[in-house]
Amino acid sequence: MKRLWSWAALVIGALYFLLPLIGTIEFSLRMRRGAYSLDAYRSVLADPAFRATFGYSVMMALLTIVLGVVLVVPTAYWVRLRLPRLRPVIEFVTLLPLVIPAIVVVFGYIRLYNTSSILPLTGTAGGTNILLLCGYATLALPYMYRAVDTGLSTMDVRSLTEAAQSLGAGWVRIIGRLILPNVLGAVMSGAFLSFAIVIGEFTMAALLNRPAFGPYMQLLGANRAYEPAALAVIAFAVTWGCMGVMQLISRLAGVRKTAT
Amino acid sequence: MSFLTLDHLQKSFGDTKVVHDFDMRVEKGEFISFLGPSGCGKTTVLRMVAGFETPSAGRILIDGQDVTGLRPNQRQIGMVFQAYALFPNLTVADNVGFGLKVAGVPRAERGPRVAEMLDLIGLPQMGGRYPWQLSGGQQQRVALARALAPRPRVLLLDEPLSALDAKIRVSLRNQIREIQQQLGITTIFVTHDQEEALSISDRIVVMHRGVADQTGTPREIYNHPTTDFVANFVGTLNRFPAEVLDAATGRLRVGGTEIELGRPVGPGPLVLAARPEGLVLAETGIPAEVTGVEFLGSVQRLRARAAGQSIVMDRFNAPTAALPAPGETVHLCPLRSHWMVLAQPEAEIV
Repeated sequence: MKRLWSWAALVIGALYFLLPLIGTIEFSLRMRRGAYSLDAYRSVLADPAFRATFGYSVMMALLTIVLGVVLVVPTAYWVRLRLPRLRPVIEFVTLLPLVIPAIVVVFGYIRLYNTSSILPLTGTAGGTNILLLCGYATLALPYMYRAVDTGLSTMDVRSLTEAAQSLGAGWVRIIGRLILPNVLGAVMSGAFLSFAIVIGEFTMAALLNRPAFGPYMQLLGANRAYEPAALAVIAFAVTWGCMGVMQLISRLAGVRKTAT
Repeated sequence: MSFLTLDHLQKSFGDTKVVHDFDMRVEKGEFISFLGPSGCGKTTVLRMVAGFETPSAGRILIDGQDVTGLRPNQRQIGMVFQAYALFPNLTVADNVGFGLKVAGVPRAERGPRVAEMLDLIGLPQMGGRYPWQLSGGQQQRVALARALAPRPRVLLLDEPLSALDAKIRVSLRNQIREIQQQLGITTIFVTHDQEEALSISDRIVVMHRGVADQTGTPREIYNHPTTDFVANFVGTLNRFPAEVLDAATGRLRVGGTEIELGRPVGPGPLVLAARPEGLVLAETGIPAEVTGVEFLGSVQRLRARAAGQSIVMDRFNAPTAALPAPGETVHLCPLRSHWMVLAQPEAEIV
């Protein structure tokens, strides 16, 4: 009886998640009247705007990951090593992006960095890109920080640091050669979440008027019927592909560790 | 000129003074143990030598060079930690070679040095393994090799044996001493285990409440403790309150029995103390009631009550000698050379 219920829960859950997905896929294949075809996909992939925006967002996502790692790993490390009493404060700060809507952040940016401010970042495309990158890094902060902090908790940060110091190592080497490799798995999962967030992000990119994938999806959704569905499926595939690659990388790292 | 000089070191954390006035000269190649209970400041002194803590006052000199202001990575000091602290992402060989790599030693020279170090610790085949594939004892040996590989000026050992089980602890401590003597490296070893300190050191510093209570060879520390704390902390001590009958000749009354030490003592009341092996059973002497007998193989341990005190007496195993039974009354005869005279601590005066 108990078993029956758990199976029922599983089936309902699967239907809840899979039905919309199947519906979307099915719909995306019906562009040609009366027959299933990949026309919608062809149309999307042939659109230069798709390639441009998708490429832009992937680039931004990768840069966000780099910025996130550079920002978060040393911070989390330093807090664990020297400022353990500040940990709750830092944790609270990193959670703020979940509480403060992106739209508030972006309006704040626009007010602070508009063309008549001291630092007129919104005046140029490059400056706006930097602003968007910072915004993305902020959005990814809660996930990145948590992942890295959890990774750090599995090792004796203080002893490892002191051992490295007594062997003559400086901070850059300690963080780059010892801390980062040991939290790589955690960094990977943080990176994956950052990637997923940035690829689909709409608010910031739209309000800063950058040619990102999110606004493109929105634009297409408002003007076409079948292409948005195809786009959604593509986005899904990309996300899952990323997940697979991350898994593969961490698996390979694990194999290298055990094969001796 | 001593090799390592700790010149009137002091350390406070906020209002708490952890190290009071620690002054010490260590000769080149000497093996020094800091012995004391937890919280006595021994680890803090070690960490000041390593550079992880900055002294509130005082100086540290290595080979004539003042290193007080140097960062840990500039001091050329090797350190071994209680928790091993091997780098989990590096192989054993890379761990051992880490310090050499940092120092910019070319790969071609690193290889032989790493192999030499692995040979030294008796793990020549383990270079390709990762730390988690080794036992605790092996990990600590790798940590030792890693600390020694860059040829540090001073080796610091921070309770390196505390995380290991008893048997490995003894064999590794012997190995540490052998390697230390072979390399002639100046070493400071921090421990709370008196047996470790006694067996391994050239000299021991017994620390208590941030002060070096006594510094001396293991024999001096054990046989001639100069403070009450040292006498109690190192080894087991039987204590008998004594009444001074004649201070000039050292005639005392202990538990109704008169004892003559044959040397002058201070004015009483005193505490007369002896190690468990400093007492023998005899026809006459201090009467004691046996409360327990333990047979420990090479040693028999007798527990008894005498002069209102619990006492412990050890004697070598003798196959033919009968063991006293609990409840029996025996007489303890002091071996004159073994007695120590301690000033009676205030707290015990009733």
